[in-house]
Amino acid sequence: MNARASTKVFVTLFIAMHLIVILPGFFSTQGYAEQSRDVPFAPPTRLHFVLADGQFSLRPFVYGWDRAALDTGTYEIDRSQIYPLRFFTTGSPYTVVKGWVATTHLLGAEKPGRLFLFGTDDFGRDEFSRMLYGGRISILAGWIGAAIALFTGGIVGLISGYSGRWVDSVTMRLVELFMALPWLYLLFAVRAILPLRIETTDTFILLIAVVGIIGWARPARLVRSMVLSAKERNFVLASRAMGASHFHILRKHILPQVSGLLLTMAAYLIPQFILAEVTLSFLGLGIGEPVPSWGTLLAELQKYNVLVNYWWMYAPGVALVALFLIYHWASTTIQQKVEVPIA
Amino acid sequence: MRQLAWRLGQSILLLVGVSLCSFVLLSAAPGNFFDELKLNPQISSATVSALQAQYGANRPLPERYARWVASIVRGDWGYSLSYHSPVGGLVWQRARNTLLLTTFAVLLAWMVALPWGIAEALHKGGWIDRTGEVILALLLAMPDVLLALLLLLLAARTGWFPTGGMSSTDAAELSAAAKAWDLARHLFLPATALALTTMPILARHVRSAMVGVLDAPFLTAARGHGIPKFRLLSRYALPVALNSLISLFGFSVGSLLSISLLVEIILSWPGLGPLVVEAVLARDIYVVVAATMFSAACLIVGNLLADVLLYCTDPRIRPVHS
Amino acid sequence: MSEQSKSRSWLQLKIVLAGALFALTLLGAASKAQSPQPTAEIGRAGGRITVALRTDPKTLNPILAVDTTSREVIGAMQADLVHINRQTQRTESALASSWKVSTDGHKYTLQLRHDVKFSDGAPFTADDVVFTFQLYLDEALNSPQRDLLVIDNKPIAVKKIDNYTVEFDLTKPYGPGERIFDSLAILPKHSLEAAYRDHKIGEVWGVNAKPEEIAGLGPFRLKSYVAGQQLLLERNPNYWRKDARGKSLPYLNELLFTVVANEDAQVIKFKSGETQILERVGADNFNLLQKDSSSKSLCLSDVGPGLEFVFLLLNMNSVDATKHADIAAKELWFRDLKFREAVSLAMDRKGMVRLVYGGRATPIWGNVSPGNRLWLSANIQYPERSIDQAKALLKSDGFSWDANGALLDSQKHPVTFTVVVSSSNAQRTKIATVAQDDLKQLGIDVRVVPLEFRALVDRVMNTHDYDAVLMNLVNGDVDPTPEMGLWRYSGEMHLWDMGEKTAATPWEAELDKLMESQMTTTDYATRKKLYDRVQEIVAQNLPLVFLLSPDILVGAQSTVGNFRPGILDPYALWNVDEQFIRPTGATCH
Repeated sequence: MNARASTKVFVTLFIAMHLIVILPGFFSTQGYAEQSRDVPFAPPTRLHFVLADGQFSLRPFVYGWDRAALDTGTYEIDRSQIYPLRFFTTGSPYTVVKGWVATTHLLGAEKPGRLFLFGTDDFGRDEFSRMLYGGRISILAGWIGAAIALFTGGIVGLISGYSGRWVDSVTMRLVELFMALPWLYLLFAVRAILPLRIETTDTFILLIAVVGIIGWARPARLVRSMVLSAKERNFVLASRAMGASHFHILRKHILPQVSGLLLTMAAYLIPQFILAEVTLSFLGLGIGEPVPSWGTLLAELQKYNVLVNYWWMYAPGVALVALFLIYHWASTTIQQKVEVPIA
Repeated sequence: MRQLAWRLGQSILLLVGVSLCSFVLLSAAPGNFFDELKLNPQISSATVSALQAQYGANRPLPERYARWVASIVRGDWGYSLSYHSPVGGLVWQRARNTLLLTTFAVLLAWMVALPWGIAEALHKGGWIDRTGEVILALLLAMPDVLLALLLLLLAARTGWFPTGGMSSTDAAELSAAAKAWDLARHLFLPATALALTTMPILARHVRSAMVGVLDAPFLTAARGHGIPKFRLLSRYALPVALNSLISLFGFSVGSLLSISLLVEIILSWPGLGPLVVEAVLARDIYVVVAATMFSAACLIVGNLLADVLLYCTDPRIRPVHS
Repeated sequence: MSEQSKSRSWLQLKIVLAGALFALTLLGAASKAQSPQPTAEIGRAGGRITVALRTDPKTLNPILAVDTTSREVIGAMQADLVHINRQTQRTESALASSWKVSTDGHKYTLQLRHDVKFSDGAPFTADDVVFTFQLYLDEALNSPQRDLLVIDNKPIAVKKIDNYTVEFDLTKPYGPGERIFDSLAILPKHSLEAAYRDHKIGEVWGVNAKPEEIAGLGPFRLKSYVAGQQLLLERNPNYWRKDARGKSLPYLNELLFTVVANEDAQVIKFKSGETQILERVGADNFNLLQKDSSSKSLCLSDVGPGLEFVFLLLNMNSVDATKHADIAAKELWFRDLKFREAVSLAMDRKGMVRLVYGGRATPIWGNVSPGNRLWLSANIQYPERSIDQAKALLKSDGFSWDANGALLDSQKHPVTFTVVVSSSNAQRTKIATVAQDDLKQLGIDVRVVPLEFRALVDRVMNTHDYDAVLMNLVNGDVDPTPEMGLWRYSGEMHLWDMGEKTAATPWEAELDKLMESQMTTTDYATRKKLYDRVQEIVAQNLPLVFLLSPDILVGAQSTVGNFRPGILDPYALWNVDEQFIRPTGATCH
């Protein structure tokens, strides 16, 4: 596979993943909060192609579960009835944008058959649908957090590193203060002070914003150390000697050098802020039930019995890793393109 | 020397800032240590308020802060309401264990990250670089929580490593060598979990710093002069890349303390992590403040170290206050 | 083993109970017939038992200890005058060999055991008892035990009759009677008197105290403590109890507490044999352990529902209508009995038990858990879950539904509220998730808000700034008296409407009277009748929407002898003085 082809593959994957998580309702098979209390921790529904009489069916179908076995907590397939899969089925309603409610799903099994592509969780909720909805929240969290942190951190670092003297000294003390502060406890305090009656998603975005605001310190520090050594280089000194304005020097000479660093930062900041969300969920401070995020879904794995017994609950983890890989690739590619040779 | 004294003064100011911030933040959080007693049907509210008065929990914030500063002078670092004892000794017992763990983890992480990053930079675009990057990305994508749990699972399944604690129950009867081996076995899982979470970040910084240097014109020139590869690396490239790596080192020392929190809890390492979380939940304020101060102090020492080293290695950096 | 077969029949009873709810009435009758008189097995001396603790013990000073971990450790080091047998839930003699009650029920005369010595060799006499109660009752010390010893605002009086006789004056007849003495550690006067005189009692017997400074009457004494890691106790050679053959207890040489913060790690340690006893484990881990318990020779015991009850609390406090207008508006629904009944009818308690506790809990409709064999009323109704009935009830009460199925009150305002849960309790969040879905079927839009525990308590106890809370309470004893603060309208735990000056409703007034008279009545049958009526009123008026009571789940290696857990704290270690290590494992099931 040459470079162009791999670029195409990655770009397609990047777009596909974001499309799926931006439009989770359409791609999901049911709502994220729909409980089927009779089937907790059901394994993924298998798609079948061969009918009982040995005939091959081009249209995949699924079986239901044996009722009697379900009562004893075991999942046995009941072969008496088949439920073919259909595209563009009508199912539970979802909101595309505010005010536009749709009911068409990409895939579904014929009623009353049930399709759990990635199995179910402890309430019998469809893990596949929850994963898609969860992705939306988590990716949003990563973007907002990283954007705030990089923007604030980049500007502070540039100013601090370039102006030096007391500005540098004061901001760096501030950076150190921010980095030394126990942000976990700050979050405890913030959530507890916030009013109860705001939307769960708003609470969440607020918390992520707090993480982002606290997260500016590290980028600031790295940018500053980069600027510090860049501004002592000969061509910058020469440029200054020739009477170039501060803004000109910052934009033309320093920013290009720093931008590579900023992108490397972004490459792991977005995943890191998604991970911050996972940590929050681990401590029970994530988004409230029943709204899923990859953090709350992964937090399920922290229960030992889920970790050992229900392998399909790893699905959000696999999605997370896949997404991070794509981001990683995207950032390195951009970095290579941007890396203007220093001259 | 004056420079150093100046930095030390700044550090103390910073610590004061940290203590003030944590004090205010923790007081802003609703609820206090005695609230849980109110849920105990056997304890009356009169007793609860008497206890609050006894420990001065109902005094105004400035007064409590002043009392706390006075207790630092005595070496107490405040009074732990749940342990009924001065905080200083309590936190130091645990901090030692955390320091042991993080020192080990930092060493481990850098020992892997340095050669890894350099190897990738040298073979930029080659298969070593690419597979290396894929592994790093996978490790980065793995939440530390999940990593720690998977290691716990490994320990439970194989029985090769002890699950939690830092010594066996019969450690007191062992010889010195056996004790060290016992400690190493207990240290292995949490240190690996910690090292694996920081290593990819470090390795990528090493790589990016090295790549920047290797592409620099002076190195192209040096290469043109036919200087051997190893000499090129050790005498020309590394010293230049060191600049950004040193501040990264300071960062890795300081930040590990906060990363270790979750790992310590999951893998039951008797460090600051479990103590602090317990204290935060119990609103045992002075324990949290002392732990925060300790973690801040570690960070400051890390940064000081980085600055001093930076000053020694890069003469272009002028003293800020000369 | 006789006690094991008993625990199994208890378990089966519980399964019947979970399967068919009408069996609950059976339980009331059956449990009295089966209350076992346990006979301890004769053990062999030596060995060590290791138990994992979630946190460090905070102090070894019984005057100061409030947290369960410290009290558990102290329980192994100290002894009380009269002890509640955790299995029978009845009292039995301890340091007091016998006691007499005066005819008016005011005075308890306790006969102390002779020739008992503290762990440091000093003799135990009535002076120690008087000194101990002086400490507990000293207002300056603010001991958490003090409130237990104050009956109707009057502290009990203690008098030494002779060296081995002590008289307690409770000032009025007291329902729980001698249960008051359980878990009150008797302290050595000779080693604490000086500290008490110097006002230093709050500083002695910390976790870092030297072992020789601490003396006790319990089966074990301190040997060493390593912060964050372990606390080692060794056999107290002067312990006063003897087994049936007259051999000195305890059997064990050492009792080791190790600190393991994480439950999963505790389970792994237990499975690998590093610890011998697993105190209180979650349902998920219990079921997981049970799957491979046969191969690992583990004895797992579901002791049945404990004294904890989980409930939904709807805010009915009088709040400042200008400051909290939204809460005041919601309280109109919450104060409406039919609304509360509808909420209760919609709750899928069986679903909660199955989905959240893997079947290891019991649905409840009243305040007394089925595990409380002495006090559970047989007359409580257990209405089946019915969304239709709940909807009919709401309809008859003036509620209606809009086109989307959302519930509207009589003023056509949509009915929505938030439920606060403790963020550190995963199970309670899960219960809230089920309740949320249940209420959605009534058209009520409920939001679950996880809050950190102290913040939650602050809202419930101090600011009353909440709509509804999903929380739990744990009773310290099976006796009804600890619930005084909850059911009396002036009580400090009157959660749904705190600080009532007069009873807000007739039934609250009746509850108050009933609780008052049960406390000052000594006859069990009369008290039972009074308390039955309390349970009936509570179940009818639903000040709290009761949901379930989790089972007490414990485990031990099959090598541990005399492992007989109960539903009272400490569940597995209450008889640690009788526990011993067998050379080979015995069969458990």
